[in-house]
Amino acid sequence: MISIKTNNLTKKYKEKTVVNKLNLEVNKGELFSLLGTNGAGKTTTIKMLTTLILPTDGEITIQDKDIKKQRMQIKEIINISPQETAIAPNLTVQENLEFMAGVYQIKDKKEKIRELIKLFKLEEVLKQKAKTLSGGWQRKLSIAISLINNPEILFLDEPTLGLDVIARRELWNVIEELKGKITIILTTHYMEEAESLSDRVGVMVKGKLITIGTPKELIDKVDAKNFEEAFVKIVTGGEE
Amino acid sequence: MRTLNFANRNFKEIIRDPLSLIFAILLPLFLLFIFQQFKIPSEVYQLENFTPGIIIFGFSFITLFTATLIAKDRSTSLLIRLGTSPMKPIEYILGYTLAVIPMVIIQNILFFIVAILLGLTFSINVIYTILITIPISVLFIALGIFIGCITNEKSASGVSSVVVQLVAFTSGMYFSADMVGDFFAKLCNILPFSRCVDITKGILNNNYDKLGENCLILIVYIAVVVFISMLIFRKKMVSDNK
Repeated sequence: MISIKTNNLTKKYKEKTVVNKLNLEVNKGELFSLLGTNGAGKTTTIKMLTTLILPTDGEITIQDKDIKKQRMQIKEIINISPQETAIAPNLTVQENLEFMAGVYQIKDKKEKIRELIKLFKLEEVLKQKAKTLSGGWQRKLSIAISLINNPEILFLDEPTLGLDVIARRELWNVIEELKGKITIILTTHYMEEAESLSDRVGVMVKGKLITIGTPKELIDKVDAKNFEEAFVKIVTGGEE
Repeated sequence: MRTLNFANRNFKEIIRDPLSLIFAILLPLFLLFIFQQFKIPSEVYQLENFTPGIIIFGFSFITLFTATLIAKDRSTSLLIRLGTSPMKPIEYILGYTLAVIPMVIIQNILFFIVAILLGLTFSINVIYTILITIPISVLFIALGIFIGCITNEKSASGVSSVVVQLVAFTSGMYFSADMVGDFFAKLCNILPFSRCVDITKGILNNNYDKLGENCLILIVYIAVVVFISMLIFRKKMVSDNK
């Protein structure tokens, strides 16, 4: 089953085309990584897919719902962990989870919060104010919050940016646990992360999606030694 | 329910920032106390006139920390996250407004306790005054929402301090507007702050002269500022995500 479908998705700011006729299909339960250099249009694409901004042209269908006509229904079944950590700084970890459970009007709130605390091993920091947490814990909390409404589709915008190697590995383990259960769209600049976690990868250059495939398919396609080299060859057109 | 949930979060964010409490409560309380020690021979500084001025002056700090909270929320990704949730713009505005109203009530009760300790006679009018200031405070909260939308985390407090200064100089709390010339008197008349003080003073002192006119003009002001704040907030929710 197709979870996300875009048809000629386009975003323009005045004369500048940031996303250009993007056609994408992501399957249910798939972990799809959107890669590209800075300014390639990844974050703008995520913002359109998460209802934050409207496309200039083209269509988006999320779980068979049209993003323009069924915006509110889509908001109920998606969630995002934005690029910067999105938490309420003066609330404790527990209060952050309760606050977001309230935003989504979660019925079995206590049970869901208990489940997330266990999954992200948040017990030791529960009573701590979010602003006093280390970057790794803040990121973990931010991702935990994004699962509060049992989203069918989760958008992770550079979830491990700036984290040390241990914190990054821990988050990878959590993402691995989610794989197959929900559809995940991941953006990252870490090629190792994309290769190890993704079912499929799409590479964007100057607003265009120029190639899609499994990490292995992309390596083979450009006859590269590893995934990072494949990415560089794809993005530069082999003119590095 | 979403509104109350959001208001609860905002309330916690505000009260856990000690600077807001110092500015919104302790500074006006200090002014109330200190000006009574000077024994200034002017009607303006008599407790029954000066306390309403201090209440409205305290509200200007409500503008300041509402603006700071919103500017801070905009600068972090929290509003991006909330933007993808089913929350509606009206729920944000009500959530910010309701979070500040308990502060307004606490402020007023403390101001009156100190005023009574300093010699103000307690009457039922004190309760009525506290009640009438709640709708008045909506003007200052909406101004805070407006400033929070057009500024960033660093400039929000600076821009809000303009409101603090305008309240201090145009509300008539320190001196009567007629004393400083025609132009200034006109400015005081155009801005809503002297009307806020006059309404509060009138209720406290059983003086209903011009109450209807002042209330009517203030209602128009509140409606316009709330409407503009909502529009700007909606617009910013989209443009911040560009």
